[in-house]
Amino acid sequence: MPGDATVLNHEAATERFREVVLPHLADALALARWLTGNAADAEDVVQEACLKAHAGIAGYAGGNARAWLLAIVRNASYSWLARNRPRSVVAVGDLSDLDDVTAAYVAGLPDTDNPEASLIAKADTAALEAAIAALPHQFRETVVLRDVNGLSYREIATLLGVPLGTVMSRLARARGLLISQLGRAP
Amino acid sequence: MSAHNDGLPDDPAGVALMIHALVDGELDAAAALAVERRIAADPALAAEHARIVALQTVVSGLPRLDVREDFKARIAAIGTAGMEKALPGPAPAARVPPAHRAVHRFGAFDWRALAASIVVTAVLASGATQWMMLSRAPDSFAAAVANGHRRSLLAAGPVDVVSSDRHTVKPWLDGRVGLSPPAPDLASDGFALLGGRVEVIADQPVPALVYRHREHLITLVAAPEETGSTAGPVDLSAGGFSLVHWSDSAFSYWAISDTERPELDDFVNRFRAAAAR
Repeated sequence: MPGDATVLNHEAATERFREVVLPHLADALALARWLTGNAADAEDVVQEACLKAHAGIAGYAGGNARAWLLAIVRNASYSWLARNRPRSVVAVGDLSDLDDVTAAYVAGLPDTDNPEASLIAKADTAALEAAIAALPHQFRETVVLRDVNGLSYREIATLLGVPLGTVMSRLARARGLLISQLGRAP
Repeated sequence: MSAHNDGLPDDPAGVALMIHALVDGELDAAAALAVERRIAADPALAAEHARIVALQTVVSGLPRLDVREDFKARIAAIGTAGMEKALPGPAPAARVPPAHRAVHRFGAFDWRALAASIVVTAVLASGATQWMMLSRAPDSFAAAVANGHRRSLLAAGPVDVVSSDRHTVKPWLDGRVGLSPPAPDLASDGFALLGGRVEVIADQPVPALVYRHREHLITLVAAPEETGSTAGPVDLSAGGFSLVHWSDSAFSYWAISDTERPELDDFVNRFRAAAAR
């Protein structure tokens, strides 16, 4: 690759790429799986992301390697979706509807303890996966980055490029939607 | 509910955010203590807290995809010289369906039939390129595609990377051209992926995939679709070649073969369906 040599010797770059990327492949696959909604294509998406990560390793300034890789995987996932399922990337331009939904949900919390928590705890994997897949993508990526990838609020805010408060409200809304879906008696 | 003096928000939505933050371990000790006190004093908040904990437990306990060893090896090989050498063409037998495996070896199909096809194509093709250039002036790209296909039939091998495993073909193309089209496995539909090569068309290197259908080869050239426009299949066949062009939002495709039009159409339809999946 012309030009790369001036920044970082190719072999050193490749070595660094392995150090940075290989430990986080499981996280990368998990994120790709949830963002694309498709376990079968997660490897393709991660591989594409890794090619980009390799090309861009010189731009990795150190710090949180996992968050750096996940940001690339996220981009790769959305471009994969745009390419392969143009119709499934539904931009949630107006989140205020969901604000209302969530507000109604929060206001309508039952006063007494209820069996919802135990229903949720017993939710089977398929129902949970379907509920996550049905989330609007901003909410889905936030809850996956937090609860599947285990990123902190601040890491998520940096990765998504949104304020901390937005991360918190998206996470609360995502979980609220999942709870209302799973906590409903069958 | 009386006013609280604990520094927490007083609106229900604000308190809900604090409960999430508590569950996520994002609060400092003082704030965590204040939220815990609120929860202890309010059964509705306690129920919400219990639901969030239950949800977080099940979500974080979702089964994870395994990082398969050959996948990891593939990623580790990125950037190494001769990447495709580090990736033995056929994937480990365990994960390749039998129908797929059968086409790995060139010996698995009749070379004589293929050779006959090549000779016929070579004869027919000499007129085809000219026809395309004359009859459709803007289609010099099509002519170049036809030339590339024709040259490939006369060359020692139609592909530069021999593999029916798209996981080998795609990174190979990525490494050389910087992009790779979808390379779906259509072996079960009767179109086996033989491999890929790089074509140079209009001074641009573009990826090409080669599929085999019975004794015919199909070359699929994919140029990046700059305008993002899509177009349904257009028939540009002539002089013994079947040539179909279409584009989706990512690539502009040219499928060319000496097979019959209906068979090429069948390939195009299956490819488009698989690529859109």
